Amino acid sequence: METKEAVFRVFRYNPENDEKPHHQTFNVKIDNRMTILDALENIKHEQDASLTFRRSCRSGICGSCAMKINRLSKLACKTRVITEVEKHGEVLIEPMENMPPIRDLVVDMGEFWREIDRGTPWLAWDEKLSDSMKENLLSNEQQQISGKLADCIMCGCCFSDCVSRTYDRNFNGPASLAKIYRFVCDPRDKEGAKRVHGLVEMGLWSCTHCYFCWSQCPRDVRPVAAISELRTLSYNTLDPSQGARHVSAFMDSVRGSGILNESTLYLKTMRWNVVRDAGLILRMAAKGRTPPLLPRAIPRIEEVRSLFRLAEEMKHK
Amino acid sequence: MKYAYYPGCVAKSSAHELYNSTAAVAERLGIELVELTAASCCGAGVINEGDPLLSLALNARTFTMAEDMGLDILTICSTCQGVMSQVKWQLDTDMKLQARTNEALAKVRLEYKGKVKIKHLLWTLIEDYGLSKLKQQIVKPLEGLKIAPFYGCYLLRPAEAWQFEDHNKPTSLEQLITLLGAKPVHYEGETKCCGFPILFVQRETAFEMAGTYLNNARQNSADFMVTPCPLCHISLDTYQAKSSRKVKASIDLPVMHLPQMIGLALGIKPEKLGFSKHMISMEKVLRVL
Repeated sequence: METKEAVFRVFRYNPENDEKPHHQTFNVKIDNRMTILDALENIKHEQDASLTFRRSCRSGICGSCAMKINRLSKLACKTRVITEVEKHGEVLIEPMENMPPIRDLVVDMGEFWREIDRGTPWLAWDEKLSDSMKENLLSNEQQQISGKLADCIMCGCCFSDCVSRTYDRNFNGPASLAKIYRFVCDPRDKEGAKRVHGLVEMGLWSCTHCYFCWSQCPRDVRPVAAISELRTLSYNTLDPSQGARHVSAFMDSVRGSGILNESTLYLKTMRWNVVRDAGLILRMAAKGRTPPLLPRAIPRIEEVRSLFRLAEEMKHK
Repeated sequence: MKYAYYPGCVAKSSAHELYNSTAAVAERLGIELVELTAASCCGAGVINEGDPLLSLALNARTFTMAEDMGLDILTICSTCQGVMSQVKWQLDTDMKLQARTNEALAKVRLEYKGKVKIKHLLWTLIEDYGLSKLKQQIVKPLEGLKIAPFYGCYLLRPAEAWQFEDHNKPTSLEQLITLLGAKPVHYEGETKCCGFPILFVQRETAFEMAGTYLNNARQNSADFMVTPCPLCHISLDTYQAKSSRKVKASIDLPVMHLPQMIGLALGIKPEKLGFSKHMISMEKVLRVL
């Protein structure tokens, strides 16, 4: 098999000796099949035994070896070195973000677990089912939804790459919300849709739909899609928050004229908070970039309004 | 080259300079844009959260218009591109969902057939028009300028719904910047979120996101930033003063819409490209040219 050498730049930090973190370069002989985890083990065994990282199953099941590989969170055991080298020329290895580093590539995942716990990630058993001697099986359709969400291996990749979490420590993050939705979808859970109560305080409307959690999840759990479903549930249960108001204002605007009315969306969502933007609004007006208050409805607007009515009717079917 | 043109709501409302500069560039390149005037808003990922079926039906309605014209859809908004492409992907891969959506559309005598393609202007220039042909049209290379590409989210993710380029390491804007004679500037944040989706809900977080990436681009010596999305432009240009204050930095980095940057290199007069409407002055950039 063809072999060549790859350059690894690895984040190093030992709080006992290092004032601050630094990167160390290693050259590793690679072949086309080698994973990042293989390479790290090679470095540890042959070049520097002090290099510290988590790993266990080597099969993408345990989630232990999550780390930043060329700036994106991935499982080291599922990522091939050759792919990274071809794309980036070298392999930059760093610990996951949004969690403090303990040593080298090992992070303290305490924050991640605390956020998972905030969502009470266990089945609230429905007592009505407890007398039954039968298995409480899910239908295939139910299994397809909650089963996909239950595939989460708690590796922390989505939490690490979540931009909202970086700047908003109150946002409980994609993994926690996906786990909550997993139980919302489970008909054996007595809480079910009631689990959306309290999610506003956990940052339900803080997600930006940047889709990093979808892209970086090694198990294809797609947390952002679960967050959208939770928002739909919350919106439909008279959620009074600013996030739900934003959805409502958006829907009103499109129902009215077929297009987004930027002015009413802003005013209805922000309410009295618009005073904070008074100076900006004046400057925008001077530049001629304030959107019209009453945009003209699009041609065939009746079709749009009919679809609003039909979608509402079909929801209740 | 002819497309069913979907400019999106913001380009026809607060970001008219994007609409006008696209028209000028399309005219210069001989690209015919037939506007879908009866199309509704794509929902920007928000209507989907109010009613997922409604989001599918509204976008499928737009698709039927392009299908009737026998044209692909061209949009100048990454968010519209992302939302519409994701709807199309859902409809084309889930026949039950497509049937349910068509059930609603049938009530307004429409049917989605799955024939339409959705393309962003950036992609059509690279794939359909061709960079070598575009190079021949350049009369005023953007020499001496360092430009920071801001890809944002919806041009890149989720890759399952469309795959124009590697979402982990995109190069399309960089290719275009180089072709126009300028130097691309790389910085931490070019593929991240501008914060716009939470601008009205968690604004301090949104300001911090935008401010951090703008400041990174500025510190890497960018003369201006370019974005293919008018919503990113709102976050990066309109609210830049607030973002700067949030990250305690004096940023003052102009932000161009994609067709404005191309228009300059094509020799279109700056007045026609609408720079006077920007909140962050373009004067310094235009002086270099």
